[in-house]
Amino acid sequence: MARRTKRIRVTVNGERYEKEVSPSKSLLDFLRMDLNLTGTKEGCGEGECGACSIIMNGKLVDSCLILTVEADGQKIQTIEGISRHDRLHPLQKAFAEKGAAQCGYCTPGMIMAAKYLLDHNPSPTAEQVLKAIAGNLCRCTGYGSIVDAVLSAAKER
Amino acid sequence: MKVVGQGLPRVEILEKVTGESVFGADVRLAAPILIGKILGSPHAHARIKSIDARKAERLPGVKAVVTAQDLPPVKYGRFVRDEEYFAHKKVRLVGDKIAAVAAIDEETAEEAIKLIKVEYEVLPHFTDGVEAMREGAALIHEEYDQYQALSMVEGRKGNICYHKQTVQGDTNRGFQEAERIFEHSFYAPMVHQTYIEPHAALARVDASGKATVWVPTQAQFFIRASIAEIFQLPLIKVRVIPTEIGGGFGGKMLPTIEPAAVALARKSGMAVQIVMSRAEDFQVANPRTPCHLRYKTGVKLDGTIVAREVELVFGTGAYCGNGLVICQRAEMLASGPYRIPNVKIDLFCAYTNHANCGPYRAPSGPQISFASESQIDIIARELNLDPVEMRLKNAIEEGDTTPACGGPLKSVHAKETLLKAAEAAGWKERRREKNRGRGIALGYWLVGGMASSAGVKLNEDGTATVMTGVIDLSGTVTSLGQIVAEVLGVELDDVHVRTADSDFAPHSTISAGSQALRSMGSATKWAAEEVKKQIMEVAADKLEAEVSDLVVEGKRVYVKGSPERGLSLGQVGQLSLTHKRGPIVSIQSVSIFPNQPAISAHVTDVEVNPETGAVKVLRYVAAQDVGTAINPLSVMGQVQGAVIQGLGQALTEECIFQNGRMLNPGFLDYKIFSSLDAPRVEVHLVEHAAEDGPFGAKGIGEPSIIPVPAAVANAVYDAVGVRISDLPLTAEKILMAIQEKNKSG
Repeated sequence: MARRTKRIRVTVNGERYEKEVSPSKSLLDFLRMDLNLTGTKEGCGEGECGACSIIMNGKLVDSCLILTVEADGQKIQTIEGISRHDRLHPLQKAFAEKGAAQCGYCTPGMIMAAKYLLDHNPSPTAEQVLKAIAGNLCRCTGYGSIVDAVLSAAKER
Repeated sequence: MKVVGQGLPRVEILEKVTGESVFGADVRLAAPILIGKILGSPHAHARIKSIDARKAERLPGVKAVVTAQDLPPVKYGRFVRDEEYFAHKKVRLVGDKIAAVAAIDEETAEEAIKLIKVEYEVLPHFTDGVEAMREGAALIHEEYDQYQALSMVEGRKGNICYHKQTVQGDTNRGFQEAERIFEHSFYAPMVHQTYIEPHAALARVDASGKATVWVPTQAQFFIRASIAEIFQLPLIKVRVIPTEIGGGFGGKMLPTIEPAAVALARKSGMAVQIVMSRAEDFQVANPRTPCHLRYKTGVKLDGTIVAREVELVFGTGAYCGNGLVICQRAEMLASGPYRIPNVKIDLFCAYTNHANCGPYRAPSGPQISFASESQIDIIARELNLDPVEMRLKNAIEEGDTTPACGGPLKSVHAKETLLKAAEAAGWKERRREKNRGRGIALGYWLVGGMASSAGVKLNEDGTATVMTGVIDLSGTVTSLGQIVAEVLGVELDDVHVRTADSDFAPHSTISAGSQALRSMGSATKWAAEEVKKQIMEVAADKLEAEVSDLVVEGKRVYVKGSPERGLSLGQVGQLSLTHKRGPIVSIQSVSIFPNQPAISAHVTDVEVNPETGAVKVLRYVAAQDVGTAINPLSVMGQVQGAVIQGLGQALTEECIFQNGRMLNPGFLDYKIFSSLDAPRVEVHLVEHAAEDGPFGAKGIGEPSIIPVPAAVANAVYDAVGVRISDLPLTAEKILMAIQEKNKSG
């Protein structure tokens, strides 16, 4: 069945893409299906769990709530784009060492939320970390180890 | 010990923090993948008059539509064969599966679902177990008498699919001896595991008719067996490839969407992926069984418990599913971790018109502890006893038994665990403050073990590979690696361990019941020990030494007292290929293990806002009896996570139904704890190597969730003097109770 599509240009993790997309496709589906960047997860599709958190033009957003066409001309960073040349981002290292990822499903979104925090506030307090990840649900860790990891990464940077 | 006991990061952690891990919905194939959707019933209980899928089949882009007609007429079920995969005569819950479609994209699949016309005759429904059990209630399964069931399924009657009475001693005599008798009723509603990854499955059927299913599951061999049964295939015609699993907590054990994906893949000849929406997952996955609990307890004035009668009514859902697992557990746990001479337990498992309930982290544990430990608190206060003293007086000790526990219990550390929590929390030296309270509760869990096998092989460079099919939920796989490294005298980095699929893994136990490490760890340890023997055998020949004179340590094998007379494990690996014994490898099996108690003791401080009833958790102390902590980082993580999950159950979580439809199937209205709600959990481990289990490990995945609701309820009472007997302890309930108390007080 022929459906209307729209051509968009978007930069994801430094790579430029030009694609035909359906106007109703979410940015999350575009990243996962069209670009095969499956590191960003869907937990609810309603902007309530934060598993799909990415950074778009310097802002932390739930990619499930954004239409791909809205991302036209924008710069996007996902979990796949934060480690460079096999060097882990300090947050990734700290999450690994502090046991801040158990099942690991919320982890990419959680790390993006934490990265957004550290990009704007390089030495946050524990309370500020708790607030910064309040939109990212984790069912495994109880959050304590995540806070430890973010604080430890902040020191590392 | 060098590697066991180290808090090492999980072996798969780098894949997880970089986003590389492949979870259920992340599987991609070279061939195109269709999107599958399921049509579920809009009614909780109805007769199906007709199903017409012709319009859906004709919709362009639709590649397959399947209904009951596409499957063999098989009734299945682990305990009672009461379930057919697609409903065709009756639907028994909102979301009961009627048909599934596969299409080129999600929009087309959704459109096709809407085109399937089903006519229903709506029937009366029950979402509460007690209502469903009433005399004369409409039957959810009219033909129950004709169902096949395991012989252990006793007491079937009306909508009761299982009733069992367990007696120890004589409660009538016990109550005569009692100086005070207390009777209380409690209720724990349905709650959902709420793993962040919804159910997902991808299936493909090849030209030989073999089905391959990629699925995040806790029990790959269960899923394989279920698919084989539903499609009447030999087990070798079904391959389950477990993906990384984004949380399970008991909810990913029985098949949900997998058979639909297989049916669609078979009919379309293409790969089909189904991913549940969050709302579907809430509505139809396998949540925690709602439970009515009645406790009658007789005591002496000094606090000694002389008799206890317990009646539990579980509303199990539309089909029996894993419902009896919960009952079996409840039978063992219902009287609590106490030495009570006279006990009677009545368990009822009733059919109800909602999702099949199943295991959820410590099935039946938190419900039972909430009732039992709330009542112990009430009794202690009435008798003017310290709640810790009352529990110490009655707690189980080495060699005691509790009903259905399977014999005298060993490795019992209830009293030490209780005292550890009390001491860490400063139980005795507390200061009273207005609207603030402190509560204590015990959790009782028994760790068993199940048939398991695992293999270890030595590679030609001296590294080792573990062959296991166990699913990693709580860090089990890492612990297996640590066990092998310890036995072979190498580092964890020298061991490769990941979950293999059902075609290649030796039979592995389910990751549930907190027994995976005990079972799999034992099989793995034995295999590693056998590999070590083989290493020594090969080395002894080369070194012209006696096997008994050899030491395996530091990646080498050498003659005791002369370390220079030795070989690296790499040299041994190479040698084995030309040695008469051949490659070094072993697969070992274990079977049933006796139950062992894993006791939790929690103390929490809360503040109740008298104007709103809202509870704030100020402090949380958890002591846990773990045997040996193979990996303390994983163990601490399990305790912390379990407590926060338990706090949700205590304070905010509840599946609310109207006409069988869940009214709050999303994270906005089904409120799990966020980072802003969660207190820091102070964890204290009680470590004594247990009688058996690898290096004395018990199990840790579940027990720490058990006492949470009771500890909070007891703290709320201590703070504001109101006793809430139905979970969760919402601000609204507490406020109303405070107002009631003020009116009458």
